[in-house]
Amino acid sequence: MYKKKCVAMLLAGGKGSRLNSLTKRIAKPAVPFGGKYRIIDFTLSNCTNSGIHTVGILTQYQPLVLNSYIGIGSTWDLDRKNGGVTVLPPYSEASEVKWYSGTASAIYQNLNYLNEHEPEYVLILSGDHIYKMDYREMLNFHIEKGADTTISVIEVPWREASRFGIMNTDEAFEITEFEEKPSNPKNNLASMGIYIFNWKVLKEYLEMDHRNADSNHDFGKDIIPLLLEERKKLIAYPFKGYWKDVGTVQSLWEANMDLLDEDCELKLFDHSWRIYSVNPNQPPQYLAPEASICDALINEGCIIEGKVEKSVLFQGVTIEEGASVRHSVIMPDAIVGKGCVIEKAIISCGVRVPDGAIIRPKYKEDPVILVSHESILESLMR
Amino acid sequence: MSKQLLGVIDATSFHRNLETLIMNRSAAAIPFGGRYRLIDFILSNMVNSGIENVAVFPEVHYRSLIDHLGSGRDWGLDRKKDGLFFFPSPELEGLSMKTGSFDHFDESLEYFYRSKQPYTIIANSYTVFNMNFMPVLNFHLNSGCDITELQQNGLSMGIYLLKTSLLIELIESRQRTGYSSMAEVTSDVTSCFSVCNYQHEGYATKIESVKGYYEACMKLLTPYVFGQLFTKEQPIYTKVKDEPPSRYTKNASVHHSIVANGVIIEGRVENSILSRGVRIGKGSVIRNSVIMQKCHVGEDCILDTVILDNDVKVANGSRLSGSFDNPLFQKKGHSQGVPLEVM
Repeated sequence: MYKKKCVAMLLAGGKGSRLNSLTKRIAKPAVPFGGKYRIIDFTLSNCTNSGIHTVGILTQYQPLVLNSYIGIGSTWDLDRKNGGVTVLPPYSEASEVKWYSGTASAIYQNLNYLNEHEPEYVLILSGDHIYKMDYREMLNFHIEKGADTTISVIEVPWREASRFGIMNTDEAFEITEFEEKPSNPKNNLASMGIYIFNWKVLKEYLEMDHRNADSNHDFGKDIIPLLLEERKKLIAYPFKGYWKDVGTVQSLWEANMDLLDEDCELKLFDHSWRIYSVNPNQPPQYLAPEASICDALINEGCIIEGKVEKSVLFQGVTIEEGASVRHSVIMPDAIVGKGCVIEKAIISCGVRVPDGAIIRPKYKEDPVILVSHESILESLMR
Repeated sequence: MSKQLLGVIDATSFHRNLETLIMNRSAAAIPFGGRYRLIDFILSNMVNSGIENVAVFPEVHYRSLIDHLGSGRDWGLDRKKDGLFFFPSPELEGLSMKTGSFDHFDESLEYFYRSKQPYTIIANSYTVFNMNFMPVLNFHLNSGCDITELQQNGLSMGIYLLKTSLLIELIESRQRTGYSSMAEVTSDVTSCFSVCNYQHEGYATKIESVKGYYEACMKLLTPYVFGQLFTKEQPIYTKVKDEPPSRYTKNASVHHSIVANGVIIEGRVENSILSRGVRIGKGSVIRNSVIMQKCHVGEDCILDTVILDNDVKVANGSRLSGSFDNPLFQKKGHSQGVPLEVM
């Protein structure tokens, strides 16, 4: 077996609790996005498009949907004889079951997987973000700079900088200081949670961190500060382009609406960097004579008899006669009943909105409304 | 039970009236319904009936067919045991218009001997329908007939079910009996075989001419036919293309149409079928038309009753129209007017 230069470890165990009922039964990376995809599709497609064909996926929270979605990785062309996708759940040892307590401990517990591949570099990713990125460029940057660790950063608006982990650097992009959610940020370069490590350095520091009983076993909180303390060479890789953490219901809705913006930097139609997704095997979309559609992103399997404007519709959605959907995201297999009015809402998978229902915020600026099976039942009880 | 059936798709049949549509492809590979090819219907029907061993007999121009079917993965037919088999004919002469050419089957006789399934269903590749063959097998077993022929409104659908051993016998004895195809066996009332008819109640249509093709496309726009062909229980499978969802821009206006994925519509579309990867420019109007894969229609065009084969480019401001009896057909890869910049 030839030696892999770079192996990716994808952290996909997060709960994403700020997504409320959307992550009640599925992990955050499995949350639907963009009319067709699940969030993890972006990271996995980036891997395959970057020529990284060995990917360990660490799952923990509600893994059933995610595990079966990943399957053997054939969707992303990652069903490989050598390498490919390996799902890495927590496992039990002679003494105890070892849950992943932090991002670093999750990787630490899978050192055996990395030992087996013995790569030169390890790329640490998270399955929580929407972006297109060529990891090869970051790896070349890492090698050129002779770094021990490279962290991908993106410029965020100054007023938002205090929500992120901020990297303070010198002119040569060398990281001098890392501040987690600083109240007075000195810089606006936020960590994207994407790291490249020299494998030997990663192994050494994970082992060191494991022995420290006071550690949270987290990359941001523990490993990066420790590397800085030990004067390792940490480089910031400045990424330019669309990147969004869809960690809240509001940001998930916004990111979907971004796709309808003609100037959006995230180009789903760019065939040179396709985003792959499990094929739902549905017929083409059927638009009835009375249908009216403008400014929308609509997936196969939809049947539309009503009006759709500035909205994103996933596979298998039905919009019945006389219904009107505006500024909304309708997730797979949801049905919007006759004469409904839906505005600025996310309708969860498989929800049936009863005929004549009116769902819209009181004021335009109000937050987006998340409609789930439970919230429909509740309103019917009233 | 389902393991008892072997599927044979005869993709050799030739129809002169389809000529423009089959210039570079077999009839089995004709695009249909925005994202399918004709063979997807019979192949999906077989898979949905639990058939796990399928042989495809293509004739000339089978490149696009093999490109489409690949290893059979999209139909779940990439199996260690059985799966999807291709038997292209080494002979290019002697095209038969009848389904089930014994000459062609004879070249792969060993496959029939090796197959473990005691019954075989032989079908043409150009019928658009959604059907489960299990009831046909039950009917065949109960009737005790030698051959069951599928019919619709009393007319043959060109689909037959019989014992695999009888098929082998028919192939081997073809010179002595004079029967060269299944159609000849079943249409001979004096033959020594008992032939029973199984009536198919649902929608089915054979694509045998360009006009018939256009009519079938327009019928697909009716909720009845759409609902007959596309069901949750028996999905029609096809090659995965990984196109994004379709984008309707602010200027778009679309009614009564079927739209596949990866389409960008900036104009007006009515009563039409748009296939994967199609672009309709600003100010253009498309009516009563079938636009196949990756066609680019520029700005301010008017297209009425037109069939555009794959990869046709239509320059800005073009006017194209045909009639219902004679829809205007544009050949694959043809550029209408001035070539467009890549949009």
